[in-house]
Amino acid sequence: MREQIESAIRNSEADYIEIRLEEGQNTRVAYRGPDLETADVVIDRGGLVRCFVHGGGWGIATFNDLSDLEHRSRQAYEGARAVQAEPIELAPIPASEYKTTVSLENDFRGVPVTEKKSLAQEYNEILLRFDPRIVDTHTTYSDTFSRVTFANSDGTYVEEERPMVNIAFSAVSRKDDNVQRAFEAVSKVAGFDAVKGHHDLVQVVAQRAVDLLSAPPVEGGRYTVVCNPRMAGVFVHEAFGHLSEADFVYDNPQAQEMMVLGRRFGRDILTIADDGSISGLRGTHKYDDEGTPTGRTDLIKDGILVGRLHSRETAAKMGEQPTGNARATSYRYPPIVRMTNTFIEGGNTSFEEMISDIDQGVYACDAFGGQTALENFSFSAAYGYMIRDGEVGELVRDVVLSGNLFVTLEHIDAVGDDFQWAEWGRCGKGQGGLPVTMGAPHIRIQDVLIGGQ
Amino acid sequence: MLERLMQETEQAEVFEIQSEATKIGFDANKLKSFEVEETQGIAARVVADGRLGFAASSDVTALDQLKENVLASAELGDEVPLHFPEPQRGPAVEVYSPELATLPPSRLIEMGKEMVDTILQADEEASVSIDLTRRVRETTVRNSAGAEVAVRKAPFSITLEVERVRGDDVITLFEYFSTATLDDGYRAFVARVAEKLRLARRLATLSSGQMPVLFSPTGAPVLGLPLIHGLNGKNVYRGISPMAGREEEELFDEKLTVVDDPTLDGRPGSSSHDDEGVPGRRNILVNQGRLTGYIYDLKTAALARTEPTGNGKRSLFSPPSPSFSNMIVGTGETPVGDIIAGVDKGLLVETPLGLGQGNVISGAFSNSLSLAFKIERGEIVGRVKDISVAGNIYQDLKQIEALSLESEWVYGGIRLPYILLPKLNVVTKN
Repeated sequence: MREQIESAIRNSEADYIEIRLEEGQNTRVAYRGPDLETADVVIDRGGLVRCFVHGGGWGIATFNDLSDLEHRSRQAYEGARAVQAEPIELAPIPASEYKTTVSLENDFRGVPVTEKKSLAQEYNEILLRFDPRIVDTHTTYSDTFSRVTFANSDGTYVEEERPMVNIAFSAVSRKDDNVQRAFEAVSKVAGFDAVKGHHDLVQVVAQRAVDLLSAPPVEGGRYTVVCNPRMAGVFVHEAFGHLSEADFVYDNPQAQEMMVLGRRFGRDILTIADDGSISGLRGTHKYDDEGTPTGRTDLIKDGILVGRLHSRETAAKMGEQPTGNARATSYRYPPIVRMTNTFIEGGNTSFEEMISDIDQGVYACDAFGGQTALENFSFSAAYGYMIRDGEVGELVRDVVLSGNLFVTLEHIDAVGDDFQWAEWGRCGKGQGGLPVTMGAPHIRIQDVLIGGQ
Repeated sequence: MLERLMQETEQAEVFEIQSEATKIGFDANKLKSFEVEETQGIAARVVADGRLGFAASSDVTALDQLKENVLASAELGDEVPLHFPEPQRGPAVEVYSPELATLPPSRLIEMGKEMVDTILQADEEASVSIDLTRRVRETTVRNSAGAEVAVRKAPFSITLEVERVRGDDVITLFEYFSTATLDDGYRAFVARVAEKLRLARRLATLSSGQMPVLFSPTGAPVLGLPLIHGLNGKNVYRGISPMAGREEEELFDEKLTVVDDPTLDGRPGSSSHDDEGVPGRRNILVNQGRLTGYIYDLKTAALARTEPTGNGKRSLFSPPSPSFSNMIVGTGETPVGDIIAGVDKGLLVETPLGLGQGNVISGAFSNSLSLAFKIERGEIVGRVKDISVAGNIYQDLKQIEALSLESEWVYGGIRLPYILLPKLNVVTKN
């Protein structure tokens, strides 16, 4: 294949061209309630050619039929010539030649699907038997192994194997009209053993689903909120991370002004960074999908905005360095600026200290999801507790945090000493689910808007 | 492939998909990219020894592996009393317009430029990104009962993203337009987005409390999404839908009617048959507030011992599941202008954040709003920021104050009017 790729690149008349091919296999076992939804294996192969010409724009071709790359390269080239766009420049990166083959302990490719099914069934049974009020369950095992080949006309050639193994459980409980749910997942760049032995976690899910039935909805209002590490991680990804993606600012002078480096965003205790090079995390790769090496990029240091995430194009436009954050969800998409592993660095306040002086507040735990419209954000906690007189009180549900980013970052007044990475993370920007990891300690935020009935 | 599978199983089905798309991209008000997308794939289902199996591949040459995978899947599969349908005639539905299928890229570029201009006229500081996609999508489903259904569609879609930053005052709009007929509907679409931008120039403040809330068609999915989940036969069969077992009950205000209709000409969600070869038909699910039905695919209908409703939808890599074709909430009789004129003090919801993130199946919603307006003495007076609404459709749709005469398609396959609820909880920073 390498020969076909290099020949298609060599023969292209484009000023820049890249080819990315992906071949993968995905095994999935899904239970819904007592029934098996599916236990199947799917095969996915496809590719993308992206190029530009001076005086034209980006031309892109995506395809499943990998047999004629010259033809795909011509399609992309014709596309590039058909649009008159602004001149495109890419910041230089060193040409790389790299090939990884992973070796996994108890590689899931060698594990029979029956064994994967048994494991999912075992977890699912725990949920089903836990309590009659659990009326529905989802238990899904999945693994995916893909081989991505990337080459460009600047001389880079990278082959990377990308394995991932996942287990996810959710339970739905019901009492009359009251329907609640709880969810946990584990996702690792690892072999089959990484998803074994999570029976305790399954119990936690079942117990929480049942407990939420008797939890009252939180009363709407403004509260001091303590976010657990997972909620804080989603918060930093959604509320701040997306604003630090340079594709938002690179062509928008007003946005650049808003996100000017050196601006204070938070107190001295706040440091936020993105690092795509940390071994074993979901957002980790040696190179991004443009062939740029990944690494750590500080975004906020001691409360001050110090950096942002770039592709080669946004970096060139802003006269900054590429950061290795050009990522694509699959061969179906050109790379865009995305986060990798984004985190709030640990501080020195213990959880007990953090809640000790709160008369009435909310402890927001985990996240069903988050969405941001730049300055505005919305997060649904999976569950929460009231904090009363310095102590964690009763369980509450329907905890949705919303607010304005700038104000909220300034209102982070305590950063915990208990940093952890989340076991699971996905970013939905533009192209849908891309694996990322979010990390944080507990954080405390003053004066947060919580919606409620 | 079908013949090969039929030799070794009781029932078999082969689903094939082929699609070609041309996409024109604008970024930051400027033409940026030209993309050609070709998709192909094949999926198979079998029933062997009573057990259901599934497999798929986007490599259409990997047929031996596909066959091996689907037979292996059936060995592990559950016993399901499912029967692939015999050949059945479906309604005639226009979803392929040759003019739309061959719309020249130069025309897509013109349309994009026109849209950028319209938005910039409304606000010269706006930054506009647009994707215009012209597609031809062909699917074929063949099964061992003799059905062979081919569906060819030419959907056209536009995603429009507008960002406007002024100091720390930011507005973002993300809007979606789709059609399967060539007309200038995109002009009305972009004009509405421009109007929202104009209205958002003025800011207003509102205090927390209970008040009348008007959901525009782009805001009304806050209420529509729990209905979509609740009416899904899978959630009904599992017993988690609050609507399960309540057929013929008056669950909602008598103004509310909800229909699934795949027979509408010119809509991308329409189709003569679903992806399992079951004929499409118009299904009334909520009739003047009374629950009258749910949507089913073959498997869920078989498990629930009822009839499939022609709602089996699938992507290449997943087995079919029940899904709406076009979800339509019936309109009312009042022009939206009159509805607004009748509100003394209330809120107009245009763009919710976090749609689908909460406990949707329970009917509960709690959304912060990225775009909402204050209505005062019958007029829209300005944008309200830092605000959220919350409620539960199983309570709040029992009393609907008004539905508008006008309605719009949103998110592709959902048609909604303006919906005025008399009293909803609104939380603001004041």
